Order: sequence, then structure tokens, then C-alpha cells
Amino acid sequence: MSFLNIGLLSGAAALSIPIIIHLFHKSRFKVVKWGAMHLLELVLRTNQRRVKIEQWILLAIRCIIPLLLALAMARPLWQGSGSLLGDSKTSTVVLLDNSYSMDASHAGVTTFSKAKDEAQRLIGNLQKNSEVQVVMMGQGGQGLLDSPTYDISRMTQLLGKTSSGSGTARVPAALDFAATTLEKMHEQARQVIMLTDFQRTSFEATEDKLLASSLARMKSQPSAPAVTFWDVGQDVKENIAIESLDFSRLMIGVGQKIQIRANLRNFGDANHRDLKVTLKVDGKDKTTSQITLAPHAKAQVLFTHAFDSAGSHVIEVATESDALAADNSFLASIAVRDRLPVLLVDGAPGATTDDIKSETGYLQIALSPFAAGKVEMSDLLQAKVMSPEALSAKDLTDTQVVVLANVRKLSDEQVKALEEFVKAGGGLLLFPGDRTDTAWWNGALAKLAPLPITVMAGDTKEGSPSVSITGQRFENPALELFNDPRNGTLSEAQIKVWYKMRGTEKTGGPLDPVVLARLDSGDPFLVEKPFGDGRVIACATACDADWSNLPARPSYLPLVQRLCVYLGSNVFPPRNLEVGQQLISFLPVDTVGKKVVLTGPDLIPHDVAVVKKGERGVAEYGPVFTPGLYTLAPPTGTPLHFVFNTDRRESDLTRLSESEVNEMAKAHGVAIVRSFNEYKQLDHTQRYGAELWKWVLWALLGMIFLELFLQQYFARVRGKL
Amino acid sequence: MAHVSDFLEPSDLQRISNLQVLARQVVEGFTTGMHRSPHKGFSVEFKQHRQYVPGDEIRHIDWRVFARSDRYYIREYEEETNLRGTIILDRSGSMNYGGGKPGQVSKFDYATRLAACLSYLMLQQSDGAGLVTFDTEIRRYIPVRSRVNHLSVIMDELQNGKPGGETDIGEVFHELVHKLHRRGLLIIISDCFGDVNNFLKSLAHFRHAHHEVLVFQIWHPDELAFQFRGWTQFECLERDGVKHLIDPAMLREAYLANLGKFREELTKGCRRHKVDLVPFTTDEPYSKALAAYLSRRLARG
Repeated sequence: MSFLNIGLLSGAAALSIPIIIHLFHKSRFKVVKWGAMHLLELVLRTNQRRVKIEQWILLAIRCIIPLLLALAMARPLWQGSGSLLGDSKTSTVVLLDNSYSMDASHAGVTTFSKAKDEAQRLIGNLQKNSEVQVVMMGQGGQGLLDSPTYDISRMTQLLGKTSSGSGTARVPAALDFAATTLEKMHEQARQVIMLTDFQRTSFEATEDKLLASSLARMKSQPSAPAVTFWDVGQDVKENIAIESLDFSRLMIGVGQKIQIRANLRNFGDANHRDLKVTLKVDGKDKTTSQITLAPHAKAQVLFTHAFDSAGSHVIEVATESDALAADNSFLASIAVRDRLPVLLVDGAPGATTDDIKSETGYLQIALSPFAAGKVEMSDLLQAKVMSPEALSAKDLTDTQVVVLANVRKLSDEQVKALEEFVKAGGGLLLFPGDRTDTAWWNGALAKLAPLPITVMAGDTKEGSPSVSITGQRFENPALELFNDPRNGTLSEAQIKVWYKMRGTEKTGGPLDPVVLARLDSGDPFLVEKPFGDGRVIACATACDADWSNLPARPSYLPLVQRLCVYLGSNVFPPRNLEVGQQLISFLPVDTVGKKVVLTGPDLIPHDVAVVKKGERGVAEYGPVFTPGLYTLAPPTGTPLHFVFNTDRRESDLTRLSESEVNEMAKAHGVAIVRSFNEYKQLDHTQRYGAELWKWVLWALLGMIFLELFLQQYFARVRGKL
Repeated sequence: MAHVSDFLEPSDLQRISNLQVLARQVVEGFTTGMHRSPHKGFSVEFKQHRQYVPGDEIRHIDWRVFARSDRYYIREYEEETNLRGTIILDRSGSMNYGGGKPGQVSKFDYATRLAACLSYLMLQQSDGAGLVTFDTEIRRYIPVRSRVNHLSVIMDELQNGKPGGETDIGEVFHELVHKLHRRGLLIIISDCFGDVNNFLKSLAHFRHAHHEVLVFQIWHPDELAFQFRGWTQFECLERDGVKHLIDPAMLREAYLANLGKFREELTKGCRRHKVDLVPFTTDEPYSKALAAYLSRRLARG
């Protein structure tokens, strides 16, 4: 508590006035010679005590009145627990929610533009020579400038150019960023102001703990900032979002039909009849469907499309616009291939490369049946056979999948090259055989091999028992096909010899080997292991007909084709990304040193330098925070499309209720404001304390009335005079 | 016919220092046009005949004279009375209260003048009049006489009396009963302060001795309203050294309640003993007292 006019507090001495008046009155009494003393004395006997108490009460009130008056004139300030900032300069961090839910518009004004205006006003209202940084909250926080600035007008200008629609607001992460920013700031007086729409999903219970710890971290700083949450949200409920797109194929070849399933969700209370959903390919409308979308319901729309050219394509599914436009369309970058090169490393080659007797003879036919049959149709998979000795790192640059079939062993350099290849997104399919050096498999190849081989089981002799593949429900996309019996079954194959693979201890992590299929002996048949960005699948038996009759079964072709497609479908680096990730593109090594042009959703071209990494040229950009389509135009060849999508959690525009916001703020010790005026008032209070004179004046008025009332009440005059 | 003195307030009459003059003024003013009143009554001693005038009561027509002379005559009688009125005047200290304002009459002055007027009226009407003054004890006892020159004795006493001392009405009255041998009308002029029960007991004693009692209770307006403001020291008029410094506004309500209770007790007690209690404030004309006396006199027949 402090006073603005401390001098006037001396006016409190006026409290002596009523006492003096009281004493003066008591000393200057009238004398009345009284006859009816017997009447008076009786009254005195019974009332003297009461009268005395009443007089003391009245005197006390009369003393309080000048005291309160002096107090009110001295303008007391309540400064709470902290010290007052006064006119001191501040270090201010403004957290601006630019998640795409802020794009929701109400009466033509988006929440973000409202928040932006308020933030500009707020920054313009800061004390002179204050330090400021604006943090955009989408995807965890990003400073508007690299470091805080004292140049307020520049910050205001920059703020004017910002846009929303960047991903999801992660409040705790943004606060952490603000805390880190504050550490670099200079002024003693600090404040953090977060302008947000208080979307329910951003403040879920799971986030609450994180929020508390972030705030605690911030408040434990040597000069703790005053944290204010500014509710700029508008009540918009109606929203339709396209949540995701699913594709029927792992990989799309030219002329192949692909089914595109769009998942729609209605977050609002309105029932949408005849909602138009449009499929656009490379920016052109292709098909439009009409669906009915009930309140709070989900729906799916199926489109079919066949691409007529290879290369990078963009698919967009869009619906009619509503209050929140950002989630009305969903983009996907699709790489359409005319071929998928598969390198077959044959450990037991035949007389010619297409000899059926060779280790990869069956495999080669199964992968490229049209070429083998001399038919005028193109195979998507293009198999190339190579001997283990000839395998080099260069061969791996223009292939997607490598198959090692009955390879005895490879040199350490070759293994290293393979490791690099898989790590960078390539696929490796391992078929052991009679020549396979188990020691090498379990040794040099151990990093790549999903499981170590222990022992060979079974016998090729006539009449010896065989095992088959267990019919089960397959989870892996490569084998999903066999869940439908019409597509054939794997269990008809009889396997006479196989390697037993020892299981390793599972860590529960994502890098654990996964058994995709088992033999009925209980041994694994297909094991998958992720490695780097690529995948390795090992089979327990050989890929030719020596150990099993699998290659002669109808299911062999789809099995190996699916496995290769699955392993080769990994478009790497990925082109469908989440906001906040980096855009990476591999380019031919001859483009190193050149610049490629990247055009984002804002249609402003950026030059991106290509740098050499290993045997490739690499273009890197980002992290990217604005969702949408990014087109990379390499010096040669067709442009590549990258799509950045955001988490659709933001589409649920339900906000925390006012009381919930207040409760949360109370729980975390954070101030809440809802308008610029409220902010100004709060800022004034934080700077100069809360002025109490109004309350004191009310109390004074109350005392005056109380005195009047009590005086009348005690004297019991009540109109009887 | 109204007399000028009817409209005079006691405060105006204050200036007339001679009680007899005052009494004559008041009584003659009061009785103007009431000449017939002395002749009413049963006790008759023929005085004269007078011609009948319309308005006279027919029963008073002397039919014998009418038979003789064929004219209507009224018989007039000289009244003879056996009313013995004793004025008992309170001279205690509490009667000395007169308020602070100029022109206000003290209760004692008022009572004295009232007594003068009454005795004048009584003697004027050929009633017997006596006077007793008392405070703690009987100060003066003037027996009842109906001679006109008896008035001067009473007036002398009234003129010279000074109030003072405490009142103990009960004791004094019990003592007085023994002195008043013949029954008559007792007119008590007092503020009746003191113990109510004692006072009522003494009234009962009077009644037991077949006296008729008329109490003129004298109040000062201040005592009824208690409208004092500011700190006031009340000093007792009867007992020296008794004083209380109080803020009267704070006690007014309680005082008035107490006063009401006192008056109610008194009124009820008087009614019980068939005593007329006539309260006065000192700003009321004396004629009210005279009217009250006369109505009592009439009722008595």
C-alpha cells in the first residue's frame, strides 16, 4: 500500500476534530434546574450504560469520517505482492496465436485480424524505449524477429504483415519459447501477453500440467514477468473440415486408377444437405460429389482418378467455404511413377541373366511379367539383375529397392553403401539361401538384418515334412491383399527348408523388428525392421523353387510385387509434411551449387541453394510454418510439389467458457483481459497500483449515512418530535 | 359573553402582581353571563319575583302569582350553600420549575394564581374556602370560611408563599385528613411528583373520609416534551447536590415512555378512587381550571 498524495494523509489529524467537538460540547453544557427528577433518574438508571456505548459508537464513527476523507484524498494505491513498475520501460513478449483456428471469421472479421490489431495497439501503447518481441504461437512459437528489438514501429509494421493459419497452437511450447526470449531481454520490468482464442483443444487437461510447468519456469526467472492472457476469441461454431485423405494404393503408376477417400467432419450444429465436395488435380476441378453431413458427424467421399503422366502431382479435395476457410481443403502431393527400379542381387546366378534356374529367375518374372512375356505393356516394377561382386554405391542411386537373393556375403563397403541407401529411405528385401553365410548375416549385416539367423530347418528330400505360412489377418499394407481370400492365399505354399530366426528382446520402441507373417512351425516367415528412413524385410526361405514351391503358386506374384512396392513406395524425402517440418529435396548431384526456385502458398518465389551431401545434391528450406502447397522448380525436369498440412485438431472451434478461462487463470496466477481497455486498466494497475480512493470514498459515504442513521436510531426520534 | 381575560394567557397575566386583582379579573371574566349559576340549586331562601321572559324555565314560574295577577312571574332564590372547598397547594421545590425561556410561568406561580382565582370564585359564590400549603409538611392551614373578608387571609398567604423543600405528598395528606374534620371538596394543586402509590393511598384516605377530591396536576410543557438539545446538566430542585450531565436527545424516548407510564398509573389510580384528575400545562388559561371546578360543583348539585 502506498499513497499518491502522502501529504494529504496528514489530514487524518482531522479525526481529532470530532473528539474535540465532543469534549467541547460536554464542557459547555447548559444547566437546567429540574423538577421531574424522579422520572429522569429512573431513565438514567436503566439506560446510562446503553447511552454510553452508543455515544462511543457515534464518536468512533465521527472519528472515522475525517480519517476516511484524508485517506481518500491521499489516493491510496494497492500494489499487490509485486512492486510497481511506474513509468519504467518494459521488456514485453507478445504471444500471438496464429494457429489456423484464428482464421475463423465472425461478421467478416477474422479472429486473427482482431488479435493483430489489438497486438499492434498494445505495442504502440508501450512505454517509450521498451523492448519487445512478438512470438507467433503456431507450431510452438517463432519470433517475429530473430531477437527482441527496441524498434517498436518496426515491430508494429512487421506485425501488420503477419498472417495466421500456421498449424496448431501449442501453448506450453510457446510459453517456453517466451521464457527463453525473456532471458535474452534487458529491462527489469517484464510482461508476457498472450493473445489467443482459448480454443478448447489447445487447453485440454493434458496440456494443463505442461502449461503450469511452463508458467512456473517463467515465474522462477530472476525478474519474473507479469503474465496476461488476452481472450480475443469470437464465438464461431459452424465449421466443416476435411480431416484427411486416404489413398488406395501404396504407389501410383501412370494410368493406374487410384481411389482417394476424403474424410470430412462437421464440427457444428448445422445439418448440411447437398454439400459439394470437389476433387482437384493439379489445380483443375475433376469431380464433384454432393453429400449430406449431419451435425457433429463424420463422412467419407470416394473419388477415383488415373494420372496420365508421371511426376509430381497435387491432389486437392475441397468443400464449400464456411467461417473457417483454412480446413475446407486438404492437399496431398502424389508422386506418380512410370517405373519403380528394383535391383536384384543374385548370389547364385544362372547361365544367362534371365535364366529361370538362377536364384532370381522367378523373382524377375514375377516383378516384371510383361517384359518377361514380351508383351507390349509396361511393368511398373523394373527389375535389374546384378552379381554381388558388381554391386557398388553408384548402382544404388537410381534404384528404390534392392533384393539380396542367396548372397553369400558382401564386402564391408557394400554393406555400408546399403546401410546408407536404406537409411536414406530405400527398401531392402533379404532372401537367404543355401549359400548365405550365416556368420556374415549375423555379423556384418546385423545392423540391417531384422533378426539373426540361428539354424536351417527342414530338408529338401522327397517326402520330408513341409511347413506352410499361417493364415492370419495381416496388418502390413504389403500383405493386406491376402486378407481377402479372393486374392489367393499364402498358406497353399509348402516350404521344406527355412532358416530359423532368433527373436530379440523387444524394447517396445518403433525400431523393433515386426514379424509380418509366420510359418505354422511358429518360426517367423517375414520380418520387417525400419532402418533410418527406409525399411528392411527379411524372408525365412529362398526366393526360388529350391526350398519351397512358393514361386510356383499364384500368390507368389502379388506377394513379391507388393513387398517391392511397399519397400519402394517410400517417397523420400517425404513430400507430404506437417507444418513445422523442414522441406528437403534430393536432386541430381550436378545441380550442386545451383539455385532452385521454391514457390510457397504466398506465391513469392524463394531461391534455395543446392548443397552436396554424399552422392546427392540436397535442397533444404524451412522449417515451414504456413501450410499449403510449395512447388520446387529444379533446373532440369518437372517441378516437385510439397504439401504442408496442419493438425486438424484446430478445426474444432469450441472455446473454453468464460468461467473456465477465469478459473484456469486463477489456478495459474495469470491475469485475464478481454479488451484493450481492460488491458490498459490492468497495465495501469500493474504500473501504478490499484487506486483505492473510490472505495474509500464509498466507505466514507457509507459512514456518513451510518452516522446519521445511528444518531436517529439511538435517539429514537423517528418522527416523534 | 366572553371577557377579555378569557383570552389572556397566564404569561400575560403574570404582570398583574396583586393576586386579588388578578383573581377578580379572571373570575369575573369567566363568570360574566353566568349570573344564574349562583341561584341554581335546591337550597332556597326567597329573594324576589321577577317578570318572566321567554327563555326562562317554565317550572320556575310562580303559578300562585299568575292566578292572582294573570301575569307570569319567576321566583328567585338566594342560594345557600354548604360547599366547603379546601385548596391544597403544593409548595415543594419541584413546583419551582419554570423553564428557561422568558415569559414562561413557573409551575408554582401558575398554581398560586390558580388557587387565588379558585378561592375568589368560591367565596364569590358564597362557598366556603380554605387553604393548605405544604411541602415536606403542612406549612400553613387556613380553615374554611365563607366570609368575603376571608379572601384577604388566603390571598396574603398565597402572595407570600415561597416554594422549596422536598415533597412527600403521601405523608402530608395522611396528616391532613385528621385536620379536615368536616367533609368537603378538596382541590389539590400539585405536580403530584413522588411515589404514585403513596399519593394514591392518601387520595384513598381522603375519599374514605368522604371528601370529594379534585386534583389539578400542573405540568410544565418542558416536562411533557423533554425537548432539550445538547449536553445538559439537570440539577435537582428539591435535593441539593443532585445533578446529572447527560445528552437529553439520547434519553428522550426512554423519558417519554417513563412519563407516559407515570401518568397512566396516576390516571388509573384516580379513576379507581373516583378522584377527578385534571392535568394542566402552565401555558393553559386559568379558566379551564375554573370550568373544571364549576362542573364538579354542579355535579355535586
